[in-house]
Formats: sequence, C-alpha cells, structure tokens
Amino acid sequence: MTTRLLRLSSFRYLLKHPLLMALSILGVALGVAVVVAIDLANTSATEAFRLSSEAVTGRATHSITGSRDLLDERVYRDLRLNGSIREAAPIIDGYVSAPGDPGRTLQVIGVDPLVEGPFRAYTGAADSGLDLGQFMSARPTGLLSAFTATSLGITEGDSLEVAFEGKRFVVSILGLINSESEQAARALDNVMVVDISTAQNLLRMDGKLSRVELIIPDSEGGASLLQSIENVLPEGAQIEPSASKTDTLAQMTRAFSLNLVALSLLALVVGMFLIYNTVTFSIVQRRAMIGRLRALGVTRREIFQLILGEALLIGTLGTILGLFAGVALGTGLVQLVTQSINDLYYVVRVRSFDVSLWSLAKGMALGIGATLLAAIPPAREATSAPASSVMRRSEEETKLYRIIPKLVWISLATAVAAFGLLALPGNSIPLSYTALLLLILAFAGLTPGAVILFTRWFKPVLSLFGGVVGRMAAQGTVTSLSRTAVAIASLMIAISATIGVGVMVNSFRSTVEVWLSYTLQADVYISPPGLVFRRNDATVSPDVEAVLRNAPGVAAAYSVRTAEVTAGGRPSDLIVVEPGPQRDQGTRFKEGGRIWGDADELEKVVVSEPYSFRYDVHVGDSIDIATDSGLKTFSVGGVYYDYGSDLGAIMMSRKTYEAHFDDRGISGISLYVEPGKDVEEVIRSLRIGLEGKQEVLMRSNRSLREASLDVFDRTFTVTIVLRLLAVLVAFIGVLSALMALQLERARELAVMRANGLTPRQVWKYVTLQTGFMGWMAGLFSIPLGLVLAYVLIFVINQRSFGWTLQMEWSPAILIQAVLLALVAALLAGVYPAWKMSRAKPAEALRDE
Amino acid sequence: METKKEPLVRVSNLTKVYREGETERVVFSGMNLDLHPGELVVLLGRSGSGKSTLLNLISGIDEATTGKIFFGEVELTALSENDRTLFRRESIGIIFQSFNLIPTLTVAENMLLPMELNGRLSEERRAKALGVLEEVGLLNRQDSYPDRLSGGEQQRVALARALAHEPLLILADEPTGNLDLKTADQVMQILHRLIHDEKRTMLIATHDRDILNLADRILSLKEGVLTEVKIQDIAGL
Repeated sequence: MTTRLLRLSSFRYLLKHPLLMALSILGVALGVAVVVAIDLANTSATEAFRLSSEAVTGRATHSITGSRDLLDERVYRDLRLNGSIREAAPIIDGYVSAPGDPGRTLQVIGVDPLVEGPFRAYTGAADSGLDLGQFMSARPTGLLSAFTATSLGITEGDSLEVAFEGKRFVVSILGLINSESEQAARALDNVMVVDISTAQNLLRMDGKLSRVELIIPDSEGGASLLQSIENVLPEGAQIEPSASKTDTLAQMTRAFSLNLVALSLLALVVGMFLIYNTVTFSIVQRRAMIGRLRALGVTRREIFQLILGEALLIGTLGTILGLFAGVALGTGLVQLVTQSINDLYYVVRVRSFDVSLWSLAKGMALGIGATLLAAIPPAREATSAPASSVMRRSEEETKLYRIIPKLVWISLATAVAAFGLLALPGNSIPLSYTALLLLILAFAGLTPGAVILFTRWFKPVLSLFGGVVGRMAAQGTVTSLSRTAVAIASLMIAISATIGVGVMVNSFRSTVEVWLSYTLQADVYISPPGLVFRRNDATVSPDVEAVLRNAPGVAAAYSVRTAEVTAGGRPSDLIVVEPGPQRDQGTRFKEGGRIWGDADELEKVVVSEPYSFRYDVHVGDSIDIATDSGLKTFSVGGVYYDYGSDLGAIMMSRKTYEAHFDDRGISGISLYVEPGKDVEEVIRSLRIGLEGKQEVLMRSNRSLREASLDVFDRTFTVTIVLRLLAVLVAFIGVLSALMALQLERARELAVMRANGLTPRQVWKYVTLQTGFMGWMAGLFSIPLGLVLAYVLIFVINQRSFGWTLQMEWSPAILIQAVLLALVAALLAGVYPAWKMSRAKPAEALRDE
Repeated sequence: METKKEPLVRVSNLTKVYREGETERVVFSGMNLDLHPGELVVLLGRSGSGKSTLLNLISGIDEATTGKIFFGEVELTALSENDRTLFRRESIGIIFQSFNLIPTLTVAENMLLPMELNGRLSEERRAKALGVLEEVGLLNRQDSYPDRLSGGEQQRVALARALAHEPLLILADEPTGNLDLKTADQVMQILHRLIHDEKRTMLIATHDRDILNLADRILSLKEGVLTEVKIQDIAGL
C-alpha cells in the first residue's frame, strides 16, 4: 500500500496539471459514453422486441404455423373437433399504421375471446367486463392499451383510423387495457386487440391465421400430446416451441448489434491510447521525482501502485462522467438503432429507454478496466528501470534509440501475426477485431522510427519556413522521442479509426449505388405501403394489378412477390420474380446463373450472397422449403449479388412459386414505359386510372433509387454518429497530448528565452513543432486507416454479413484526416505558446 | 579512529563496470572499504572518478558488478532490489547535491516521508522531526513547497530529511556543492554539530575543505583505486 504522503504527492501533481487531467478524464468519458450509449440503445431495442413478443405469446408453450407465416383456419377447427387438446387458441398478428399519427405502428392481435382465458389475461378474460357481443360483431372493434390511447388522445368509445397496405379502416375502441405493472404496460404499448374475424378483415387474411397457440405441459403426457398433434397436422403445417421464433428474430440482428458494439469499443480503444499517452507523459515528466522517491526508499511496487492509483482516479472520474453522458447519448442513439432495425429487420418500437444497471456496470468495468490496462505498460516502464538511472532522462531517449530496430522487427512480426489471424478459416468476429488491434499496435510500434525518418527528410522544409527556429522545432521532435513518438502514435490511431470507418461507409455506399444502378432498370415501381422497407410483403389488389398491366404507354410489366417462408427450418425471405428480357438484366450472379427456362426450373431456386454466406449454401446444394403442399427440396442454381438485406433471400420464378404455393398475390410491380413516352406522363395517367382503388406507392426509377439510398444512409447514421464521436475523441487526444508535451517543455523554452529567443519566436517554435507533429500523425494515419478499412470491408463485413464490397475512398476523407490532425495540433499549441511567451524565464527556470 | 570496533559497512572486492554500447567502462575493480560506527569519512575524487557510483552502491540504489557490501551482518549485495529498497529506507539517509526534494510535498511532508514509508510515523517522531527542522532553522517554512525555498534552504531541508528517521548511515554527495559560501557554512555548522553531538556514521563525497577538517579519514578515489590521504597532503584545497 502506498502511504498517505505518497498519495498526497500524487494528487497534488494531478491538481497542478488541471488541464491535462481534465482532458484525460474527457477522453475516458467519451469512450465510455459511446460504449454505454450503444449498449443501452441495443438493449432497449432488444428488450422492446422481447416484451412485444411476450405480450403476444402470453403463456403459450407451442405454436402451429404454416408456410409463408399463414395457416389455414381449418387446421384450428380440425384440432378442436379432434378434441385432443383443450388449451388451443387461434392468433392473427400483424401491423397497421395510424394515419392520424404518422410514424406510429400498431401491432394488431386478433384473438378468439372465448378461448383466450388461459393464454393472455388482458384479451377478454371473463371478469374483464368486455361486451363480447360487440367485440365479436361484424363492425371493426378493438381494445387498446390505456397508455397508447392516452398518447393518441382517444378514449373508450372513440374511433381510431388505421391503414393496412393502403386501405383504411375505422376501428371502434370498446375498452382500454389497464396493466398492473409498468412492464406489462410497456409490453402492451401500441398493441390493439381485435376479434379474429376483424383481424382477418383488417389484415386481408380471409380464412387464414398467423398461428394456433397451444399450452402443452412439460411432462411425459405433454410429449405424447405433442406427438399426437403432430400426427394430425396437414402438409405445410408445423409445430414448434413458442420461444424459437423470438430467438430466431433476435438472432437476425446479432451481427448488426455486434458490429455496433465493436465500433463503439473502437472509440474506447482510442480513449485507451489517450490514457496511455497521458500516463506515459506524466511519468516521463516525473522521472526525476520518481528517481528521488526510489532513492529515498520507495519500492517499485509502491511506485507502480501510485501510478495505477492516479489512473484509477482519472478512470473513475471519467467513467462516472461517461456513464451520465452515455445515458444522454443513448436516448438519441436508440432512435437511430431502432430506425435501422425497422428498415432492415422487423418492426420494433421502443417506448421507454431502459437504463439497465447491468449496462452501467459493464460501462463502469470497461472504463476503469481500460484505463488501468492502458496505465500498466507505462507504470511498469517507470518501475523497471534501476533507481540509479531513473533520474536521468537522457537514459530514456538513449534506450528508445537503441531499441528502435528491435521495435521495428517486433512490429512487423505483430503485423504478420495479425494477417495470419485474419487468414484463419472461420467467421469469428472477435478474432477479426483482435487482429485489427494487433495491426494498430504494429503501426504504433513503427512510429518512433518513422518520426526519425520524417524529421530527417522534412527538417529542411521547416528550416525554410522558420529558419533556425524551424530547424530547432524539427530537431526537438526527435530529441524528446520518448514522448513525441507516443503522442504521435496515439493521434495516428485516433485519426486512423475515423478514416477506417469513413472509408468503410463510403465503400458500402458506392457498392450499393452500383448495385442499384443495375438492379433498378424499370421506369416505374408500384407497391402498397409497407412497414419494413427491405421486405414489403403487402399485396397489390388484383384490380390495381389489372389497371397497371394494361395501362397505355406501358411496354412491359414484371411482378414481384415477397413472402416469408420456412427454409431449412428457418424463417427466410422468399422473392418471387417474373422473368423477362428486361427484368433479367437486374440480377448479377456470383456463382451459377439464371435458372428460368431450365427444364427443371420448378425444382430450382437461386439465393442471395448473404444467404449463401449465412447458411453456407452454394450452387448444387439443396434447400428444403415448407410450401403449401408440404416440404419440398429445391436445388440451388445460383448465388446472386444483393445488398438489400443481410439476412439473405431465396429467389424463385413466378412459375415455380405458383406450382408450390396457393398464393396468387403480388407485392409489387415494375413497369417499363414504351420508348419515347414520358415517364411522368405515364405515372399521372396511372394515378388517374387507380383513383378510388387501393392506395399504392408509385415511384419513378430515380425516386426509388433515392429512397433506397436514403434508407441506406439512415441505417448508417448510427455508424456515422459513432465515427463523428471517434473524431471528437481523436481531436481531444491531439489537443491533450500535444498541449501536455509543450507545457512540459516550459523549462526547455525558458532556457531558450534566457538565451535570447523572443516571445514571438517562442510562438513560432511551439506552433511549428505541434503543427509538424500533427501533420506527421495525420500522414501516418492514412496507411493505418486504409488497412483498418480494408479489414473492416473485406474481413469483418464479410464475416458478419457476407457481402462483396468494392473498396472506395474519396481523397476528401484522407484530406479531412490530415486537416483534423493539423488543426487540432495547431490549436493545441496556442495555450502553451501563449503561456510560454508570457512566462518570465527566471521563474520557469526555477520552477524545477 | 575506532578501528577495533566491528565495521558498520564493509565493502569487499567491489567491482563496477558500465557497458556503453559495445565498450565497457570499469569504474573500479576490487575495491575494499570499511566504515566504522560514528566515523566521518570524506571521499575525494575528480568529477567522473566514481564517487557517486560508490555512494549509489553502498546505498543499494545501484548494483555492483561483482564483490560484496556488508551492512553489519546483512549482505546488501545479496538482497533483491525490493529488499535493498526496504533496507535503504530503514537504515540510510541520503543528501544529494541537487537536493532532490519532492516538489509536490511541503517542507514538513518531505521530512516526514521516510518515516511514513517505514511505517514509523508516530506523534513523538513527528515532534522530533520538527525539532530537527527547527535545528536547521526552517520550522517557520514547514508548510512551504520546495520551489519557494532558496538553494540553501532546500539543502537544509534535505539534510533534515536525511536525519529525521535516525538512519544508521548518512551518505552525502557534494552536500555543499550547489551552495554559496554563506549557505555552505550554515550547512557545515549543522553537519559539525551532528558529528560531534550525535556521533553519526557518515560518508561524504566533497571538495569542501571545511568538511575535510571534520573528517576522521579522507579517502581519495583516483582511476578506480581508493587510497587514504592526510589533509596536509592535499594540495590546492
């Protein structure tokens, strides 16, 4: 244990350098804030999804589902007639929008109130006082959670307008569901309970159910009951535990969430380097004092504890600040994260932002742990040297010079090890990030050598700008290499992180742009409004379809149907296309090719690249798909490029679909306008032709492309926000590291002032030196940033989502990085230069 | 000289070699030295002759290349770095030429630090330490930080710090080297009182003639060889 006086000495040192301490605390705080915010946002979104799933699932243990998430209602009827199980309830669930409150999505749960009792307490239990006659009448009626009703400004007896796939309905609110607990209230937020027939009408599911729910005891009797139900199920229907669907949906966002967490950790790693830099600096500055303490009999262990104690103080203060900032930031980020989930995966609405103690505890452990981890190497360094040499600073510089060749070799070996890890087979994302970290360390290790080389090369340039002062400024960078190299390496890492993420987003966007340019070939796209952008399985009504196909000026029309099917035992997206000469140009293949027109077309499908990656399915493999006529095996004829969904999709021709599924609906239609006709004119006439029919979205090629890129940008907003935060951490890093370095040179500058350097020359000296260091950090960050981007694009993205991306970078990102470093560095020089130029040399010389 | 007593410090066959790149520099080889309790030994030698190195070796700050240093029954050279440090803070007081006070501790705190490190800071000892501070004339500056003191005052604090925990041996490296004549004289008076009143064992590396006059023995370190000299044989001092 360190003594009170040692701790006091240490504390006074920190107080004597308030600016440095404040910037270090801010560095930790920002890193922790980003990690906590992302964690809270992810947790809130997942929790909201889990609660809404549980609200619907209730106490059901199993459910019977059909293909395309639709089950013939006769399955339920037969089950009832069969009499093998009493506790069975039909369910329809889906989503509608509330036009009166744009952006609000309501989850519709259709139930049979007569059998609901054992399943869900809120849906019409016997003692609820619900007027069953009205609830089950032909007029659309429903129950709404009290909280939702309040937020919509309606009450019992009012009407609520809802819309589904472009059609509007007015639902009378018969009653409000009052929940006993806060959790139940949250689970039922935006839930509307209606009678099963009302749900069928609203969601256009005549004769269909979403599923039949069952309560089967977990016993031997239960197992045999399960078996007996399974035996009587018709083709295409299957029984599964209720939790499995929720789990599958939660897994969809696994890679998405994991990458957000990893990116947020990157901000913490940058923060760690800043801590490393700060602690190293504080030790270098106190080398003489540490030496005195050692001479007085303070042991290495006590010095080590002292330094870690300081780091602990900074880490704790920074972490506490970071937790508060994280909660504030998280409330903003949760909207971005849920928006991305809504765009890409499924409908989820977060009503309340959960500040879980577990997230805060993790943030606390990470913040303090990262700070201590970053402080250990410099603390060890401070205590490993013999007491006799600790007092001599030149020893440190000499030692660094001596080990540079060794450092270069170790760094190269670390880089080789990193690439070795990246080349390992398998898709481990944590391993990929470990390799990324090793690459960062390798570049950091190469920095001292690079600083020496660059100073040698650019000393004449600085001399040109600043004469003898310029030359001194350049030389000063090398003579204090032990401090400057650490600062430059820290800045390089902070800035390269911003380049890496920036180039990754850029590459992704340009790849998607190219993909959209060949995928979207038609002139007009029509679909009913849907709730999830990437998968619109709404149905175009047949009368609308007829108008569209036969409209004057339309040269060709191709339909598309999207549906969710069970393939390989997993819920998967199915895209059904109508082949044709123009349509076929929109698909490019990575493996295999088109299968339409093949003799065995009816037994073939193609899969998207992410699907192929996710489930390791390639040309020649087969997939079992639950069709309306039972489980059918399809062979894979091709793997096509697709950037619409990381979940992957299976594509089949309309002909194949109709051969295996009873569905004849279409989800959208693309129109090719006759040559010479004005597209806008055709759209106008189509709108006139569709008046009074189903509401549809009609978008020109350009507007759909723009809408797609808007969604892309929206889903990457959270990434861009993270990048901006990393830029902020980097900026603070540059500022604190260089400012500390210059402040530490007070004595050196005082000697120069004593020897005739004017205050103006001090300004010049400090500014040139910080500018030179910032410029070097910016320059070094370019190769590291590009390597990080390469790994993010070709390894981590591949292993997470399976997309083939083209690496694209704009010079703007690189210029921005160098400018960021340079501006921050110059700013960092302002205060020390001002302070040094005003300081009286005599005082500074005395202030040992 | 009390040569019949058991020596407090016995240096036996001590060698120190520094490696400087590819070359080796031998500071001294096969050196022997005894320091007896209550004895004041002055060490002379040009800059770079190895005086500070010898003090660092005896205090355990540095490690010998070969040879042994005994402190009573304890073989210092056989101790680990950690044990040497613990031994140093218990048994040795050091006065440096450049004072080496801790800038973030006040005068009184600098004084009390060695005792606190030893875990022996009682009220009685605190009072005694402040008594030493009074003796060096700086009790009224006990709450000042070192950078507010003059060089002479700083060295007096360093002197008081080296004495406060009552070490067995005091090592001083040019204690008056950075001081003007008047201040050096003040420091010398304190040293003089210590030697005669408290019979402390001291090894002082110095050129100060006034200290030479107080010495029981004068040793000269030249080209790695330690020889005893008489004060009258020393020219130019």
